[in-house]
Amino acid sequence: MIKVENLHKTYGKLEVLKGIDYEIKEKEVVCVIGPSGSGKSTFLRCINLLEEVTDGAIYIENVKVNDPKTDINEIRTEVGMVFQQFNLFPHMSVLDNITMAPIQVRKVQKGKAESLAFELLDKVGLREKAHNYPEQLSGGQQQRVAIARALAMKPKVMLFDEPTSALDPEMVKEVLDVMKQLAFEGMTMVVVTHEMGFAREVADRVIFMDGGYIIEEGNPEDVFGSPQNDRTKAFLGKVL
Amino acid sequence: MDLLDLRWDIIWNYREMFLRGIWITIVLTVSGYAGGIILGVLIGLGETSKKKWLYWPSKLYVDLFRGTPMLVQILIIHLAVIPTIFGQSYGFMVSGILALLLNSAAYNAEIIRAGIQSIDKGQMEAARSLGLTHSKAMRKIILPQAFRRMIPPLGNEFIALLKDSSLVTVIAASDILYAAKIVAGAYNRFWEPYLVAAVLYLLLTYLVTKLVAYVERRFSNGYNPRRKREGRSLT
Repeated sequence: MIKVENLHKTYGKLEVLKGIDYEIKEKEVVCVIGPSGSGKSTFLRCINLLEEVTDGAIYIENVKVNDPKTDINEIRTEVGMVFQQFNLFPHMSVLDNITMAPIQVRKVQKGKAESLAFELLDKVGLREKAHNYPEQLSGGQQQRVAIARALAMKPKVMLFDEPTSALDPEMVKEVLDVMKQLAFEGMTMVVVTHEMGFAREVADRVIFMDGGYIIEEGNPEDVFGSPQNDRTKAFLGKVL
Repeated sequence: MDLLDLRWDIIWNYREMFLRGIWITIVLTVSGYAGGIILGVLIGLGETSKKKWLYWPSKLYVDLFRGTPMLVQILIIHLAVIPTIFGQSYGFMVSGILALLLNSAAYNAEIIRAGIQSIDKGQMEAARSLGLTHSKAMRKIILPQAFRRMIPPLGNEFIALLKDSSLVTVIAASDILYAAKIVAGAYNRFWEPYLVAAVLYLLLTYLVTKLVAYVERRFSNGYNPRRKREGRSLT
């Protein structure tokens, strides 16, 4: 479903991604782990072109994403994204946060968009917060709204960029539970995370990145249970 | 009051001129400001643009109009620009409004640029990740948030422009200050006319301050920091 070929990304002289090749299949949950500065967030952000790709190619359902002829806005409607800092729109109610993109981009009628929004709010357990503003919610609640907002576009893939890193520890679980539910329902997901427990339990495949390369990848039992590369061993030794 | 032996009757004799002056000052300021907002939005957006052919002219415009005295700008526009382009003068009203408009556009542009750039870049990323085009993300997400932050400085700019509008007396615009000058010249008395002019400007700026405070309250609906702590749920 997502194919990445020889992906390079440089900021000025700094090369952050040094040639990434990877393929993600439909309904797969892929967790990307690795030390900070390893390029894992950049890799994720290249997929929906929030970062300009320096070299290489990314295909989503056989459409080349970084082709000037591709309508990137259309690709992005199929790719939901959840950010570390939630990035909810503070001037809109929770309900409007969720219905904005379906109404503005998909031209869904307001009533329909709202009933979908309530469905999604039920799913993340926040129906009663529909008319609150983001500032009135806790971090965990905001992140769950952000997930609902992304899901409202009915994306084929969901990208999570360290979705629990900005949360207080007691709120991490409520967000991970929503993500687990999504994975269980068969959503294709790419998750950059430091939550090794989540990766181990939910991921179909785990990617370990370091220094701009994919060092090791495989199913979670192998990567966590018997890592092959020394750098993976060193990293896991520190975080587990 | 006996000390200065003030003669308020001379003001009363020229009351119509002062009333007209108030009207002229208001028309000049409001028209100049309204045009200055429209042009300022365009230039402010230009200043935040990544396209060089939009950025550099906008930047140059702002530097030019902020870096030169308004008095000089008024004289150049009235005595040089308009006669050269149109072959004649259209009077102080046209020149005055144009000068105020061009000048305030530069200041408004800076306010608008700063307002836009003060919005966290995650907001634009979130909007784009949902499939919004850049301009739609600007209109629906960035500008509504930035606008709230722009209201106080835009209000200050309105007050500054109101006061600076008195500079148009140099091209014989019959505003408040002009009325005062006429009275001063006619009676050779200075306390009364200039004190009255000062009080009239003060009253106008006071009204504007109240208006800005009202607009600020009006647009903070549903997003009021003072209200946010109520209803916050603890998890």
